[in-house]
Amino acid sequence: MDAIATNKQLNNDEIFDLMKQFITEVIGEEFVEEMDITPQSSFTKDLEMDSIEIVSFSEKIKTHFGEQIDFTGWLSAMDLDQLINLNLEMIINYIHECQLSR
Amino acid sequence: MPVIQVNQREVHIQELNKGAAETVLLVHGMFSNLSVYYFNIAPVLAAHFHVVMYDLKSHGMSERVLEGYDLNSMTDDLCALMDVLKLKKVHLAGYSFGGLIALKMAMRFPEKLGKLVVIEAPDPNDEKTRGIIDDYSREFLEHYVANFTDTTKVKMGKRQMERNHRMYEYLFYQTSIKEDMILESGFFSTPEMNTLEKDTLLLYGSASNCLQAGKQLHKLISRSDLIPLNGDHNIPIQEPEMVANIVAGFFKN
Repeated sequence: MDAIATNKQLNNDEIFDLMKQFITEVIGEEFVEEMDITPQSSFTKDLEMDSIEIVSFSEKIKTHFGEQIDFTGWLSAMDLDQLINLNLEMIINYIHECQLSR
Repeated sequence: MPVIQVNQREVHIQELNKGAAETVLLVHGMFSNLSVYYFNIAPVLAAHFHVVMYDLKSHGMSERVLEGYDLNSMTDDLCALMDVLKLKKVHLAGYSFGGLIALKMAMRFPEKLGKLVVIEAPDPNDEKTRGIIDDYSREFLEHYVANFTDTTKVKMGKRQMERNHRMYEYLFYQTSIKEDMILESGFFSTPEMNTLEKDTLLLYGSASNCLQAGKQLHKLISRSDLIPLNGDHNIPIQEPEMVANIVAGFFKN
């Protein structure tokens, strides 16, 4: 189940663990076990996620962080190349910045 | 994850800017899913409109269904979705096969629509566009993926290839999609096409195989404008920002 929106500030390691949890929920544990997920893992190349899976992943982020971040708005500023190269670290940094600016 | 029940079937939807006065509904194409709009096009439209996207049956994260891929059934599905979401009237945009669904909606339920955008809808009578669903094979999938999908720039990995292969095999061999499409070959010649009175924007790639279909529709639909954009059949992926801005401008005015 998706977690409910929380106000607790997370550090980068906690955000990374949460992202890993979301990825596992989206693509399934059996695939995640074969992968070494790191902050440098890119969504399309390393994790082999397709666009509808990235939609699911985005929804989990939106549900979890709620109003704290404008994740869809942030993604929409990216072109296709940027989306393809998107990695976990970029998202972790973005969420971290949003938390700091609140 | 927003999966709702429509006629006892699971339908995956995504909504942006729910409070807005007017709604734009977006329909994706065959073998695709709502992500074709989600990242770049929907957020631009959501600056002004309530935006609703949904996955067609057996596509994306919607439930698999064996039958009912003809345009009557597809528009029945869309009407049922509008009822569940309590949408009385929407602006409608459809891409490729979704463009045909949008046109059929305008013929059958004009009272439910504001303006209409048709992006790269093919003529179902054109053998080349229909041929794509006639000879499916693994090689075809690899070719299709390399040339016609939004993953053009990435080599598809093993898991993705398997996943897509399963979806295509299901659609090609188990559902009625092929037979249903062949039955639609006379769609552009139906008399209702001539009497369509919606303000209609036709967006086509200037290098697209479907451009001829766009010109045909422009002749048939009296209140239509045809805008050729740089690109081919994949214009929503090649020029998402331009497509989004043109569509938003058209719906706003």
